[in-house]
Amino acid sequence: MEDYINTTIRPKIQGDGGEVTFQSLEEDVLTLIFQGECSKCLILDRCTAWIAQEIEKDLGKRVHVCAIRKKPFFWDT
Amino acid sequence: MAHIKVVRRSMRPEEWTALRFGWLKRHIYNKTYEIKTLQIRDARQVSEMEYEFYSDDYRPLIKGDMYFTPDGTAFIRGDIVIPDALRGEEMWFALKTAAEIIVKVNGTYVGGVDPNRERILLTPYLSENTEKLHFEMQGYNRSKPDDERNPESLSVRGCRQIFEGAYLATVNHDVLDLVYDLELLSDIANSDLFSGDYRAFLHREMSRALDLIDFEDELLPGLSEAKHYVDEVIYKNDDYKGSGDVALIAHSHLDIAYYWRRIHAVQKNLRTILIQLRLMDRYPEFKYTHTQSYTYESLEKYYPEVFEELKTKIAAGQFEPVGAMFVEPDCNIPAAESLIRQCLYGQHYFREKFGKTVNNCWLPDVFGNSWILPQILKKSGVEYFVSNKMSTWNDTNRFPHNNFIWKGLDGSEVYACVPPTHFITWNMPSQIQENWEAYQDKNTGGQTMSMFGYGDGGSGVTEEMLELMKRFKKLSIMPKTEHISAAEFLEKNLKDNPNLEKWDGELYLEMHRGTFTTKANLKKWNRKLEYKLREAEIISTLRMLGGALYPQEELRACYKKLLLNQFHDILPGSHITPVYRDAIADYVWMDSQLDKIIGTGEKYFNSLNFERTALTFIENPHGDSTRCGKRGYWCIPHLPPLAHGEIKRSVGTANEWCYVGETVETPYYKVQFADDGSISSLYDKELSREWVDGDFNQLKIYEDKPGVYDAWDILPNYKNKQYSLEIAEPLHLTEKNDEVAVFETELKTGNSTWRRLIRLFRQSRGIEVENQVDWREKHRLAKVEFDCNVLTREGVCDLGAGFIKRDTHRNTSWQQARFEVCHHKWCDLSETDGGVVIINDCKYGVGFDENKISLSLLRATVRPDPTSDMGQHSFCYLILPHAADAVTAGVNKTALEYNIPLVKADVSCQNTFDGLFLQAMKLSEDGKMIVVRLSECDGRRGVMHLPKKVKLLNMLEDVEGESDTLSYTPFEILTVGIPLTDETEQ
Repeated sequence: MEDYINTTIRPKIQGDGGEVTFQSLEEDVLTLIFQGECSKCLILDRCTAWIAQEIEKDLGKRVHVCAIRKKPFFWDT
Repeated sequence: MAHIKVVRRSMRPEEWTALRFGWLKRHIYNKTYEIKTLQIRDARQVSEMEYEFYSDDYRPLIKGDMYFTPDGTAFIRGDIVIPDALRGEEMWFALKTAAEIIVKVNGTYVGGVDPNRERILLTPYLSENTEKLHFEMQGYNRSKPDDERNPESLSVRGCRQIFEGAYLATVNHDVLDLVYDLELLSDIANSDLFSGDYRAFLHREMSRALDLIDFEDELLPGLSEAKHYVDEVIYKNDDYKGSGDVALIAHSHLDIAYYWRRIHAVQKNLRTILIQLRLMDRYPEFKYTHTQSYTYESLEKYYPEVFEELKTKIAAGQFEPVGAMFVEPDCNIPAAESLIRQCLYGQHYFREKFGKTVNNCWLPDVFGNSWILPQILKKSGVEYFVSNKMSTWNDTNRFPHNNFIWKGLDGSEVYACVPPTHFITWNMPSQIQENWEAYQDKNTGGQTMSMFGYGDGGSGVTEEMLELMKRFKKLSIMPKTEHISAAEFLEKNLKDNPNLEKWDGELYLEMHRGTFTTKANLKKWNRKLEYKLREAEIISTLRMLGGALYPQEELRACYKKLLLNQFHDILPGSHITPVYRDAIADYVWMDSQLDKIIGTGEKYFNSLNFERTALTFIENPHGDSTRCGKRGYWCIPHLPPLAHGEIKRSVGTANEWCYVGETVETPYYKVQFADDGSISSLYDKELSREWVDGDFNQLKIYEDKPGVYDAWDILPNYKNKQYSLEIAEPLHLTEKNDEVAVFETELKTGNSTWRRLIRLFRQSRGIEVENQVDWREKHRLAKVEFDCNVLTREGVCDLGAGFIKRDTHRNTSWQQARFEVCHHKWCDLSETDGGVVIINDCKYGVGFDENKISLSLLRATVRPDPTSDMGQHSFCYLILPHAADAVTAGVNKTALEYNIPLVKADVSCQNTFDGLFLQAMKLSEDGKMIVVRLSECDGRRGVMHLPKKVKLLNMLEDVEGESDTLSYTPFEILTVGIPLTDETEQ
C-alpha cells in the first residue's frame, strides 16, 4: 500500500501542487498525510474518496482514507 | 461601562441593488437545452501531446457527476441535434467549469471555457445548414488558479469537480447589455477610489433603474426602460469629472511552468490564443499582446491550423507578438550569453514566421533585472523594456518611475516602462483608476500603461472586459482611456520623449530574494551547462574549420532547452515538485548531448582566451587527490589561450610545504582553524596582513520563515534566530601531498549532515571549501559568513559580463532593502591594496554588511514544493585573499578558470582576442560566418587590432559594418563575424 501511494497516487497529487505521504494502514483505515495545496483544500474529501476508489480498482482492497492535514505555518490560522 | 455596538440588520439600499442585479443575471440565457449525450474519459498528461488514460473507453457524463482527477486531463465528447427552436438563432455553447476546456465543434476550434468565461458563440463557425453538432473537448483541471486576486476562481479550486451541465443556448442581449452596464457601475459605486458623491449618485440611480423592471414577471417588463434610464440619467451625467490618461493593453501572462508542468503549457497556450482569436472575430478593434517565441513554436508544432489563423491576425495587426525573447527568463541568474540567446532565438523566430523584429522586451513577472540587460536588448533590436514587479512588489521602497529611461552597466539606454499596477487585471474601472493614481510620471511620461487579461491559462481577455471598455468613455468620472497595442503605447509615450527621467543601475526587486538560492541543484546544473555549451560551441567551431560538420541543430536544441529552463518560475525554484523533476531530466539530457558533441581528444584544450595559470583539479582515476568524489590531481596547466597541449604535473617538495600544528602554515598563510572549519586567523605571509576580523568561513544556520512566498522570499529577520551546529567530527587532516593539504570536519544540524573539506595549496593563494551536504531541514537558511579585515563601503559583485559595486552600509532604506543580492561567479570586499574575494561554482545569493560577506548556500522551503532542496548537495567555493583591488588582482579570470573545467579536444585557434573575454564562438544562424562574442569585464576601454577585417554584428547577427580594428568601452559586449568564404569569391 505504501508503495502504491508513493508511486501511483503521489505523483498525481504533486502535479497539483499537493503532497501525500503514507502514514499507516490499520485494518481498512488508511491514514495519509496531506501537505502543500492539499493541506488547505476545501474539497479534499472528494480527493480522498477518489484515492479509495483507485485503490479498490488497482489493488482490489476497500479502504477508508483518513486524511491528516499538515499545513505550513503561514496557512495555519 | 458596557458598550453596545449598533449594527444595522435591515437590508441596505446597495444590498437591494445587488440582489436585483443577481436576479437580472439569471435571465442572460433565454433558451437553454442541456446536452445529455456527453461522455468523458479521464486521463493524465505525460508529455506535450501524450496521455495515460484511466479507462479504455468513455463513460457517460451527466450533470452532477464528479469529473477530473488530481493532475488530470479529461476528454469529453458528445453529439446533439440542434433543437428546432434554436435553428436560425444565434447559438451559444454554455458550460460553467473550474477547469480549462478547449472546445471543438464539428472539427473546428470554436473557443474555450474556464473559470473566467462560461460560453462560446457557435454560429459563425457552423456551416449554414448544420443540423448536428459533434463536440470534442479537452480540459485540464485548474486546481490552482493563479488569479488568486479573483475570488470567484478561488472558490472553485480543487482536483475533483462537479459537472454542472453543458448547454446549447441563446443569449438575451438586452439583459446582457444591462448586466455589463451594472457591472461597470457597481465596480465604481463600490470603490473608495472614486468620489463619494458620485458613488452615492450611482447607488441611487442604479436602484432607480432596477425599480423599472418587474422581476416577478419572467419576461422582465421594464427592461428597456431600465436600460434607457441608465443611458439618459447615469451615462449622460457629466457633473463628476475624473482625470488621467490610461492606455489599456490586452495581455495574458503565461507561466511556462509553475503550478503545472511545461507539458501543460502547450494546451494553456492554445486555449489562450484561441480565445483571443475568437474575441477578435467579434471585436475587430480588439488588440492583444502575447509573449515568448516558445509559445508560438509550440502552437505551430501541435496546432498548425490555429497557428495559420494566428498569422492572419498578426498580419492584420490585431494579434501582437511582444517580448523579443524565447521565454520570459529569470533576469538575475542567467549568464549574459544566455540572455543574448533568449533574444537571438526569439527574434529569429519572429522574423522568420511573421516578418518582424520585435522592438520590446516584455517581462511583466520577472524578479528584478540585471544591469547588463539594457546593452543586450539594445543590440538585439529592442528599444523598449516592460516589467511590472518593481512597482507593485517592492517591500521597502517605492520605485520612483513608471515611464523612464533605463541606463545599463555599459551606458546603453533603453526606454523602460514599469507599469504602476499588476499585469493581471480584469479591466475594471477601479483597477484603471488605481493605476492612474499610482502612476508617478504623470507630468513627464505621457499615458500610463494598464495591462488587462487573466493569466496562466485564465486565457486573457474576456468578452466582459471588452464590453466594459466600450462603456468607459460614457463615464466622465473615469480617466481617459485608450485601447492600443503595446508598440503604439511605447512609441507614442516613450520614444523621443525629452522629459523622461533616467534610472542608472540594476532594476533590483525588493522581494523574492530567496530565488537566488532556492533549489540549489537547478542553479548548479545551469551554471555547469552554460559553460559546457560555451565549450561545445567553441570546440565545434574550431573542428568545423578543420573540416568537420558543425552540429548546429544539436547545439541549438541544447541551448533552447537551457533557455526554457531559465524561465522565471523554473530556474528561480518557485514551482511544484514535477517541474523540478522535468528540469533535472532536461539537464541530464543536455549534459549527455554535450558530452557527445564535445567528444574527446589526445590533449587538453584551453577554451579560455588567456593562459590558464590557476591551480586546477584534473580528473584522473590514477590521481592522488579526491575532489567532489572524483580522483585526480592538482596542477597548474600553463596552457596557452585557445590552444591544446599536454599538462605536465609539476613535482613539488613533497611534504615540506605545509606544516600542521596549532597553526597550519603554507607558503602563503599561517592559518588558525576552529574545529568546525571556520578560520579564526588567516595571516597572509606575502602581504603581511591579517584577513580575519570575526567569524570567517563560519557556517551558520538561520530560521527562514518568510511566509506565504516561501520559495521566493528571504526576509531580513532571518538573522533573528540562529541554530547551532554540532561538531560530529572535529577538523582534522585527511590528505596531504605535493600540492594540497585537505582538512575535514563533519557538522550536524537538525536532521542534516554537513561535511566540509578545506583545501590549502602549495601553489595557490586560494583556500577551497568543498561542501557535501545531506540536507533534511525545513525553513532553514544556510549561509557561510566572512568577517573580513577590510575597510570598505562597497562590495563588488560579478554580473557575468562586468561587475556591479553595491553599498555595504545600511544608511538609507535603499541599502537596507538590498540585504540579499544576486551575484555570479564572485563577490569581493577590497581596500585599495588588497581584499578578499569569494569565488563560487554555483551560488548566486549574497549579502554584505559592512565588512561581512554572507554567502547563501541552501534553503529548505515548503511552498510551492514541500520537497524542495531535500537530499544531497555538493558545491565548492574558493576563498581568495589578494593584493590590490578585484580587477587588478584578475579575480574574474581566476573565477573563469575555477568554473570551466578542462576537457580534451585537439583544436586550437590562432587569434586569441587579447584583452576581452571570449564569451562565445559559434557558427552563425545562417551558417555563413563564425560569430565571436567578446565581453569587456573589467571596466576598461581600449582598441583591439585584428589580422584582417571582420564583420561588425549586432547580437542578432545582422551585419552593421566592417573593420579590422575593434574599439571597446567599459563593459561592452562586442559581436563580430568572420565570413567562412572570402566574399570576393562569392
